[in-house]
Amino acid sequence: MTGSVGHAGLVGHPGVLAASTIAAPHIEYSQLAPMLIVFAAALAGVLVEAFAPRSARRSLHIVLALGGLGAAFILTILIAASSSIFAGGGAGHIAAMGAVGVDRPTLFIQGTILVLAMLTMLIIADTAHGLSPFVAQAAAVPGSAEEREGLLKGVTHTEIYPLTMFAVGGMLLFPAANDLLTMFVALEVLSLPLYLLCGLARRRRLLSQEAAMKYFLLGSFSSAFFLFGIAMLYGFAGSVRLSAIASAASTNTANETLLLAGVALLGLGLLFKIGAVPFQGWKPDVYQGAPTPITALMASCVVVSAFGALLRVFYVAFGTLTWDWRPVLWVIAILTMLLGAVIAITQTDVKRLLAYSSITHAGYILTAVVASSALGLSSSLFYLATYGFSTVGAFALITLVRDPSGEALHLSRWAGLGKRSPLVAATFAFFLLAFAGIPLTSGFTGKFAVFQAAEASGATPLVIIGVLASAIAAFFYVRIIVLMFFSDPVPDGPAVVVPSALTGTAVAIGAAATLFLGIIPGPLLSLANNAATHLFVR
Amino acid sequence: MTNLAAGAVSAADPTLASFSPLVWWIIAIKVVVIFLFLLLFQILMIWAERRVIGRMQNRPGPNRWGPFGLLQPVADALKLPLKEDIVPRQVDKLLFFLAPILSAVPALISFAIIPVGPEVSIFGVHTPLQLTDFPVAVLLVLAMSSIAVYGIVLAGWSSTGPYSLLGGLRSSAQVISYEIAMGLSFVAVFLYAGTLSTTGIVNAQAHGWYVWELLPSFLIYVLTMVGETNRLPFDLPEGEGELVGGYNTEFSSMRFVLFYLAEYVNMLTVSALATTLFLGGWRAPWPLSLWSGANSGWYPIIWFLIKVALFEFGFIWLRGSLPRVRYDQLMALGWKILIPVSIIWLLLIATVRAWRYDTHSTAVYVVGGVVLAIIIVIAVSWDIAAERRASRAAGAESAAQEAGPEPGTPAAAPRGGRVTYRVPPLDLPHYHGVGVTDPSRPVPPPAGAAVGAGDSNGTKEVTGA
Amino acid sequence: MNSYVPILVLALLAVGFAVFSVVLGTLTGPKRWNRAKLQAYESGIEPTPQPPGGGRFPVKYYLTAMLFILFDIEIVFLYPWAVTFQKLGAFGLVEMVTFVVTVLIAYAYVWRRGGLEWD
Repeated sequence: MTGSVGHAGLVGHPGVLAASTIAAPHIEYSQLAPMLIVFAAALAGVLVEAFAPRSARRSLHIVLALGGLGAAFILTILIAASSSIFAGGGAGHIAAMGAVGVDRPTLFIQGTILVLAMLTMLIIADTAHGLSPFVAQAAAVPGSAEEREGLLKGVTHTEIYPLTMFAVGGMLLFPAANDLLTMFVALEVLSLPLYLLCGLARRRRLLSQEAAMKYFLLGSFSSAFFLFGIAMLYGFAGSVRLSAIASAASTNTANETLLLAGVALLGLGLLFKIGAVPFQGWKPDVYQGAPTPITALMASCVVVSAFGALLRVFYVAFGTLTWDWRPVLWVIAILTMLLGAVIAITQTDVKRLLAYSSITHAGYILTAVVASSALGLSSSLFYLATYGFSTVGAFALITLVRDPSGEALHLSRWAGLGKRSPLVAATFAFFLLAFAGIPLTSGFTGKFAVFQAAEASGATPLVIIGVLASAIAAFFYVRIIVLMFFSDPVPDGPAVVVPSALTGTAVAIGAAATLFLGIIPGPLLSLANNAATHLFVR
Repeated sequence: MTNLAAGAVSAADPTLASFSPLVWWIIAIKVVVIFLFLLLFQILMIWAERRVIGRMQNRPGPNRWGPFGLLQPVADALKLPLKEDIVPRQVDKLLFFLAPILSAVPALISFAIIPVGPEVSIFGVHTPLQLTDFPVAVLLVLAMSSIAVYGIVLAGWSSTGPYSLLGGLRSSAQVISYEIAMGLSFVAVFLYAGTLSTTGIVNAQAHGWYVWELLPSFLIYVLTMVGETNRLPFDLPEGEGELVGGYNTEFSSMRFVLFYLAEYVNMLTVSALATTLFLGGWRAPWPLSLWSGANSGWYPIIWFLIKVALFEFGFIWLRGSLPRVRYDQLMALGWKILIPVSIIWLLLIATVRAWRYDTHSTAVYVVGGVVLAIIIVIAVSWDIAAERRASRAAGAESAAQEAGPEPGTPAAAPRGGRVTYRVPPLDLPHYHGVGVTDPSRPVPPPAGAAVGAGDSNGTKEVTGA
Repeated sequence: MNSYVPILVLALLAVGFAVFSVVLGTLTGPKRWNRAKLQAYESGIEPTPQPPGGGRFPVKYYLTAMLFILFDIEIVFLYPWAVTFQKLGAFGLVEMVTFVVTVLIAYAYVWRRGGLEWD
């Protein structure tokens, strides 16, 4: 009898043959709640698109998106304040069977992303003065009758809200991913909606479509490299867990080629997303062609998220290989800072200029990444937060300066703006000074923090080059200020529209944060320090 | 050997382990037998189809060559290689050569995992009546049907003719659309059987066939298998009224034979798969299953063949009785009915089953039934409301058109930028025979006399009566 | 792996048969040259000139193919789930319902936007 039981069991349920070892996984839903809420809000947005009448969609979307982001932010704070993390002095948890790390730096990054996303959402939602920055019918050929018809009917794509929410959800998961496959999925979830959103600018359709196409092609390339790097690392370590790769890297010296190739390819994929030289090529074109609110999203949230992932990968998985990757990142940081600053001098388009400025700033943050220490981590976190606020504010301001054909982006159109609308020009000048790193702005404190971290780790040459690049960059920032305040206004120059409550709030919060963090950086700095003390969980 | 756990499953029934070790001459015998069966069965099938359709249309069908016309398909098979193999000038030569092969080969491979019977003894070696089996056997059929799509789409594309291209596109769109519903209908079976191995699925049906437990899945599968094989009423890719031969328009001689063969072999394979997944495979039907010998030895082949023949007859019956659906109806059936219905059904049975594991109470079936009824009521009322809305919108539109734009311009429909074009009226005089009083032409026969013109095989037949 | 060998044998036989058939057809059939025979068949009218590469075709087919891929991937996830259903229990059910509902939301969107209509 007992002899036949096994056989009978096999006959009755052949599936038993395959695996009797499968145990149901465990998922900590409460720890993942911020991300789940953002994704749920995005899905609800799709349902709104499917079933709500057209007139009601926009307001429903705004409620859903801001509500979802706000709820996610509150939950992030609650998780961070719970006894096991900040309050109790713990480092954090690993959730979802090791796929996601919920730890101090991640919560800081997620909180930053959520706040910046809320600010960006305000600009995205702004349709005051009858001008949504988004296209009426994306599928219509530019200049065709269908496009005109759509414009006249006043329809817009309200899909932008769920798409943005999906992208934000991906951004939240990207720095939290504790294994490379989850990270790749997050990368795709954050990238794919962005590719689409880039092609939705209302004005200059061809430029916008070109931007979307370029971003999509180059982004796909970088994703492929990222995936290839994952394959190499899996081949080396036999696991995609960051901690497993780290331990394999410190014990296994047999297949170093595989490991280093994996590091290089993975790093390439991540550096592409932050736009470090030599992978910066897409940034100016995409920033210029994309709708300005989406540019703001990319320049703030995406950069924060990508740096979060970069920090986690390089500090956790490659933490034992510091001597291998540090020289390369040195070179990349130097190139990024200098090239961004130098090329920005020749730019005549405001958005392109800010794109190059964003490249330079990525270089500054890389100097802190190179430090590979708790100080480097905390200063990166602080810099990301300060830079995010300034950049959202600056892009929000750009949407206000308009020509009859849309936003006035050519610098010559900005000449003498200070005389015609001093407030807007002064605020923009303030943001530019923050980008340049002038004292009393958040840019100064941020830069001070990252350079201090780099200096502490012995990267003094990097600091010197960083200061040099800042000086070059200051030149073109100041040049715009001079142009706005000390040259004669152009005849029939751009009109500055009165900001609606939404954009006005975004600009005001951005400026206030820039000023506040410049004067009293203490609270945020100590929060960042606090977030970085335990580094990432493994 | 007492066998409590498996009930009616006898210990001699094959398992995955029965397929190893390999005995090369057994494999050789099985391969050759399966191959010959696949080819010869089609000859019988073509004959049966023409005879049965002939009966359904009040005519005898082929009856001249051999007893009951049995040799007619043989004559056709001999005739086709002797026809000219035309390769039009504009075709892509390599793909034109590959397409029929890509269409026929996957069809011939799929049958490998169909269990035809239990273990038997062949020259002293115990082996199951099945070429091979592995833990993901059913995936082989799905993979092969996916590859066969390449044959169709490449055939259409390489021919560079409008009929071929459209036929190929339509056909591939249709096959992939129905493949989703087909794949979804399988999930329920895997859920119940706990395996993808066909041997395991047949064994799991020892207590009762899945056709009863999973009736909706079975019905969905039967619909999709007609769609998958491009058969009437879903044979639009070859709708000869509009597309001549569809993707195989430019193919002649043996290349055409391969497409033709692939279609019939596919019919056999999907029928065999339906038998395996839902009708208990080679297991004997109820009164016969009381006789213990019915499920062992060589007899099960008979039950298997009977079940397959029933499905094949169903194919013929459909062809004899149903007109071709419109393409939008076809796609709407696939995408708007079969897919949501199978997904909801799947979720329902999964929930009921999970609940049943936990509580072991039969109340879950009642609750499941109630939920199903509610879903059906909602779906039906939604459909009725949508239809009413549509008819109201259509009424408003036609009213707007009467008042609306000058003739010839497309009238913009209110929703989603859809455009409706004016079409010529369907009551032009010459449709009623006015103006075609050409004395040299014979008067067209009245509609009732058109029986016997329904054979769409393209081969002429002698209608001796 | 062994259980795949018979399939390989059957596949070889099938390929051999198919190639032999096509070659046989070219050898045994008559060859009578005729200009019209070598043109694309369009029921007797002058063939439509075809641009190289087959020309353009309705974008609907592309949409159908993309939707197919989405649903096929759903099915790819459903199969292993169905096989291990008993072992995963309620957890598997909850996760799969979440996943399927997510796909259904996208499906509802496509439907409402006319992605499933053929005009």
